[in-house]
Amino acid sequence: MVPRPQTSAAGVLALLSEPEPLLKQHALKALNPLVPQFWAEISEHITVIESLYESDDLPTETRDSAALLASKIYYFLGEYDEALSFALGAGSAFQAETRAPGAEEYIETIVSKAIDRYVELRSDETSKSQTKIDSRLQNIIEGIFVRCIEDGEHKQAIGIALESHRLDLINHIYELTRDVSLLSYAMEAVLDTNFSLSYRDQVLHFLYPLFPPLAANSSHVHALTRLLVTLSSVTLTVPLLTSLIPHEMLLAYQLAFDLTEGGAQDFLEGIRNELPEGDYTTQPIYDKLRQILTGQVSVKLYLEFLKRNNKVDMLILKNTKDALEARSSIYHTALTLQNAFMHSGTTSDVFLRENLEWLGKASNWSKFSATAALGVIHKGHFEEGMNILGPYLPSDAAAAQASAMTGPQYSEGGSLYALGLVNAGCGSGRGVEGYLREKLRAATNEVVQHGAALGLGVAGMGGKNMDAYEDLKQTLYTDSAVAGEAAGYGIGLIMLGTADAHVADEMLAYARETQHEKIIRGLAVGLAFLYYGRQEEADSTIKLLLAEKDPILRYGGVYTLALAYAGSSNNAAIRKLLHVAVSDTSDDVRRAAVTSLAFLLYKNPGQVPRIVQLLSESYNPHVRCGATLALGIACAGTGLQDAVEILEPMTKDPVDFVRQGALVSLGMVLVQQSEVSTPSMSSTRSLYAKIVSDKHEDPMARFGAALGQGLIDAGGRNVTISLQSRAGSRNTSAIVGMVLFCQFWYWYPLAHCACLAFEPTAIIGLNADLKAPKFEFVSNAKPSLFAYPPPTKPPTKESAIKVATAVLSTTAKAKAREKTKEKEKAAAENGDLMEMDEKSDVKKEPKTDIDMKDEGSTLAAAHGDVSPINGSLSNLPDPADSATAKPEPAKAVEVKKPRKTEPAFEKLPNFSRVTPAQLAHVVFPPDCRYHPIRPVSTRSAPASSAKGKAAVNGIRSVAPAAALGLASERYAGGGGILLLIDRHPEEPVELMESELVSEAPVATIEETPAPAVSSVSSTAPHIALDENAPEADPPESFEYPFDDDKD
Amino acid sequence: MPEADVEMKPAADDKAAEEKASEESKETVPPTPVEEIKASIALIERAVTTLEPRFTHRVLRSLTSLKRKIDFSVLRDAVNDVYSKDTLVKESLLAWLPPAPAVEASMEIDQAPLPQKTPPPQSDPLPEAEVYLRLLILTLLLSSPDTHAKSMEMAHETVEKIQAWNRRSLDPLAARVWFALGRAYELGGELADVRPLFLSAQRTASLRRDDECQAVLINLLLRNYLHYNLYDQADKLVSKTTFPTSAGNPQLARYHYYLGRIKAVQLNYTAAHTNLQQAIRRAPPAKTAPGFFQAVHKYFIVVELLMGEIPERSLFRHPVLEKALTGYFEIVKAVRTGSLTQFQSTLSTYAGQFSVDRTYTLIVRLRQNVIKTGVRRLSLSYSRISLRDICVKLHLDSEEDAEYIVGKAIRDGVMEGKVVHEKGWMECGSGKNAYGPEVSEVFGRRIGYCLELHNESVKAMRYPLNAHRKELAAAEGAREREKELAKEIQDGELDDDDGLGDF
Repeated sequence: MVPRPQTSAAGVLALLSEPEPLLKQHALKALNPLVPQFWAEISEHITVIESLYESDDLPTETRDSAALLASKIYYFLGEYDEALSFALGAGSAFQAETRAPGAEEYIETIVSKAIDRYVELRSDETSKSQTKIDSRLQNIIEGIFVRCIEDGEHKQAIGIALESHRLDLINHIYELTRDVSLLSYAMEAVLDTNFSLSYRDQVLHFLYPLFPPLAANSSHVHALTRLLVTLSSVTLTVPLLTSLIPHEMLLAYQLAFDLTEGGAQDFLEGIRNELPEGDYTTQPIYDKLRQILTGQVSVKLYLEFLKRNNKVDMLILKNTKDALEARSSIYHTALTLQNAFMHSGTTSDVFLRENLEWLGKASNWSKFSATAALGVIHKGHFEEGMNILGPYLPSDAAAAQASAMTGPQYSEGGSLYALGLVNAGCGSGRGVEGYLREKLRAATNEVVQHGAALGLGVAGMGGKNMDAYEDLKQTLYTDSAVAGEAAGYGIGLIMLGTADAHVADEMLAYARETQHEKIIRGLAVGLAFLYYGRQEEADSTIKLLLAEKDPILRYGGVYTLALAYAGSSNNAAIRKLLHVAVSDTSDDVRRAAVTSLAFLLYKNPGQVPRIVQLLSESYNPHVRCGATLALGIACAGTGLQDAVEILEPMTKDPVDFVRQGALVSLGMVLVQQSEVSTPSMSSTRSLYAKIVSDKHEDPMARFGAALGQGLIDAGGRNVTISLQSRAGSRNTSAIVGMVLFCQFWYWYPLAHCACLAFEPTAIIGLNADLKAPKFEFVSNAKPSLFAYPPPTKPPTKESAIKVATAVLSTTAKAKAREKTKEKEKAAAENGDLMEMDEKSDVKKEPKTDIDMKDEGSTLAAAHGDVSPINGSLSNLPDPADSATAKPEPAKAVEVKKPRKTEPAFEKLPNFSRVTPAQLAHVVFPPDCRYHPIRPVSTRSAPASSAKGKAAVNGIRSVAPAAALGLASERYAGGGGILLLIDRHPEEPVELMESELVSEAPVATIEETPAPAVSSVSSTAPHIALDENAPEADPPESFEYPFDDDKD
Repeated sequence: MPEADVEMKPAADDKAAEEKASEESKETVPPTPVEEIKASIALIERAVTTLEPRFTHRVLRSLTSLKRKIDFSVLRDAVNDVYSKDTLVKESLLAWLPPAPAVEASMEIDQAPLPQKTPPPQSDPLPEAEVYLRLLILTLLLSSPDTHAKSMEMAHETVEKIQAWNRRSLDPLAARVWFALGRAYELGGELADVRPLFLSAQRTASLRRDDECQAVLINLLLRNYLHYNLYDQADKLVSKTTFPTSAGNPQLARYHYYLGRIKAVQLNYTAAHTNLQQAIRRAPPAKTAPGFFQAVHKYFIVVELLMGEIPERSLFRHPVLEKALTGYFEIVKAVRTGSLTQFQSTLSTYAGQFSVDRTYTLIVRLRQNVIKTGVRRLSLSYSRISLRDICVKLHLDSEEDAEYIVGKAIRDGVMEGKVVHEKGWMECGSGKNAYGPEVSEVFGRRIGYCLELHNESVKAMRYPLNAHRKELAAAEGAREREKELAKEIQDGELDDDDGLGDF
């Protein structure tokens, strides 16, 4: 018989109250192993045990074991803080316990508590309000660090060190390992998790000197760029740049290009001013650097890229034009926007030219929009901007006259706005800003003022120009609703991210004073811009705004919250937004709150569908609408399947504006996706076509579909929409652009600002002279995975006939019916039968339409109507073409290959489109003459080769697409403009023939300007179109319809 | 009483059974047990991938109905189907099953081809699936007395595996495994040995915020303590731990039952009464879990008597309780009449039953109450009665005795009145106002309870997945019809025009 197990600890407990210390000591020793079983009973005597620990007349050993016992009891009681305190008091007994078997959980809990306590104390200590940290606690923590480092768990140690503000440890770890990736990790951790701004800057300043000096192909270029952009510190950047010159000048150029990508305007200007002049050898280098830092070189390069690769499908535009009644201003605006988005930055205004009659139908504000669209199309074309827009800009002489007439004001206002868009983000400190200010002051008409204020804001974004601010304020104080609204936006844009308390007070005061809702809205959103990226500094304003009685100000508060914490995924902010989204009394505020989630979460697009899912099923259509936009903006360009799955059913929502939002968002999500990577691509396209052409569809939904069509093919299919810049930091202009785009709910012309978020996706290689040599790189993925979508085919002859028989138009039907009636008068039943037939025919019609598209998607090449384009592509005036057939555009290669033997990789020439997801697959072949100075992508894809093989084997599963989705989940930065190392400098350099890039004399261009108008199906002329062309055929030609219209 | 706990399980899944029933009626062909197991595993995997524990709960609800259908051969097939490849896991699972007799195996093969058609899963099943299969084997092993030792061994192994995995998605399954382990020890009569294991597991569960396991383990520990009459330890455990609020109803009912027992022993009858009442309310319907229902009612009746109240007569006519409560009914009758002799005789008749029910000690305490009840009855019927008459009516020995008892009753608040010693009688106070402040208090409490119940059920409601999409489709259909209508009107006009033209 086994002895009965002990059923109580009462006997040992009784010993505790014995007067003899030896007995007490024994009791404590006996109790320690009993705690796990009888803790409930022992805990009744906790006070006795505590007093034993505190009594002075016991030996330390006894007191230690008393403390350990108390700690364990508190641990079992779930009072972990108390448990930690006593464990700290237990000293050696606790140390001994760490090695005891069966106590792992206890030790683990205590240690994690210790870390928490330490982190808390340390972060308090920075404010100098705390006494010295318990040395025993300190010891435990040091022990943890030592253990982490011994075990090689450096990232964990860095994490704890960051949280507990122990920067010395990061230094220590780095000195031990010399691993730069750890520094990058620390930097990313501090940027992407919620630390306060001041601490973040402190850490970054600390990390910066630790990075080793830059050299070619060092892996930390991206990290360093991000760090510098975030700190925006001129004093750090200039020495870095000068240290690279003369030996690493390529790297200096590269750094300059990367900085312009994400840097604020005043930061770049500061660097430009601070850069030394240099001696005679280095001076040209510094000059070039300065030039790059204006940002204009990159804009020009991208412009060149967009122009060169323009793949706009004119047929889509034509179909939309035919379907949408131009007399209705909403449809006119829809088409204007669609055209503007599709041609954004391509400088191709062929569509406008070809449709002067349609353009002439614009009236009032749609004329404003139509003129502003020119700015979107010519975005970045700042040298020619004034010339192109010249005909519409208000002339000084006419100013007085104009005030009397009402006609040209809309085109004048629109053109000023357009001028701003052309110079978006790089206008501050240049002539344009002065010009716009002057026009703003001179204008007396509110429409012109409106355009000038918007233009000024967009062009001088983040420039903090006080003069511009004063001018805008004057406009604001005229208390004109139209002009005041724009002034509100303008002020916010000019003072972007300054958190200037004085400006904020003035804006808020006026917003409360004025009667005009428009002005209040302008100011509210302007306030949001003011606090862009200021995180906790904005908290008081956010609180103030969210508590306002006026829903428009609350609306502004929501955006302030979103912009202040943009990209931070701050939990508190998300919670607040979600709360507003379900509790505010105003629908507008709720909608804005849901939409704003996107601005907080765009760095983790994968999360958004989950968060928004329930909201997307809300009973409140405004919340649903907000959910669509949130998905669209946050998941833009990712093709995320989860997002598409939520959005697709919402295109059938009973409420028109929800459908509108869903259609717009689908366009954003699916931008630059190929049909192979995202299966729903073709169905979405046909859905757009169907809705646009459906007469009985609600105007709002048709508007949305047109917008979606524009977005899905934005920028000639060569741009993506992304709120994140290539270096991984916030893309300021994109975020601002998207916020303004969201205001299209109230004011359609603001939708143009979406073009600020368009990011060209190119790989552009430059050599040391900043010229583009010819070279090829390899994309290790199936070409079709990242291919351009095939062009919509004009109806072939047979199908045209077929369509004719089944025309939906009622007149045709009536005619047909008439015919049948005449024929079948004798036999009525037969007539019925016929009618039936006809109906079924009609129903079939959309199906055949889809079939056609599918056919196109399968690339069943060698069709007669594809080849002309193909031919024209290969006929491009490309001198290299004659020598080698290789550097054909990707498209041509693809079309020629039969489908079955699709290669696992493709070669792409310089200035090719490389979508963000594709970047991971890009490699420069080892035998290539040129190599990039920094890694192409911030993250490499080791699996890419394996994936490629799978593709060769013909396994056409969904897996690659899924993997793709994952890769793009938080897609790698990189790509863009790359400086190249020339391995054979002695060989002659073959340059891309480009006027813009090489800045060679105009005479080198040998091709004749393409004929301005050709058949609709051909997109060829634009590729050959060089930048002189717009000058060659002046755009005045479509000025007259406006004048014609005015009466 | 031991069977009470086991019978709890069928309780929980009447709903699941209903669901299943309706499904089956739709399909006309009920799924074979193997298919059912596979469907359950699919559900569990879905729960893991979607992080939705409710799918696992659904599987667990159907566990008891499944239990009746399965045997070892079914399980063997299930294991073979789920694990296509010969892995260690598969071997270890099969090792617990007795080897298949040849004939049976061949029969099974005839059936097998049907499920075999489905392509075997590509990846290895999740640990959750393994634990589920283990749980099924365990329940089967537990059901026959020959395999108790084996089941205990297996339960131990499973628990170790679960602790090593440390996956939160395992929690609901782990809770069941712990229960099975406790059951195995109880059947083996070695409950005391397992206590330290439970205590440490309970700590781990509370550290990991594993509510399900915590609830089950606290209940197992209480049961363990009460089994050995360690009321003191049990009480301390209760006072030092917080029972997770998110625990399911069956666990909560159990907890209240144990709590009621502890409180009753500690003379805290009011608390015991509330707890037992809660246990009854939380318990599944009487038909599905008769054992628990009876056990709780036994205590409930005794506690009610101890509080000086008489249980309702209808209780004893309840079909489930009628037979089980005969002894208690007799006791109630004795207390009601206030007859000590009758009480004593009943007590001696049913002593055996009461001690099995562990209510004997409590019933012995009733003697005082019998007298008190008598006094109370007298106080209600008479406004003044002499102590002598009390003696006669209650069969008491002396007037002093009567005076003492009456005085005690007045002090305990059983009745209102006073003893007039000089004149040798008892004067009874006027009955309490039936609508005093305490009534509204009780009323308020009940309202609070109802509101809470309502809130909880609202919280427990879920929107059906993707119901929204159906609505969307309907809306689209409506819009289509509207469009057609618009078109038709247009056409109609045209037709009319045509018609006019023709004539």
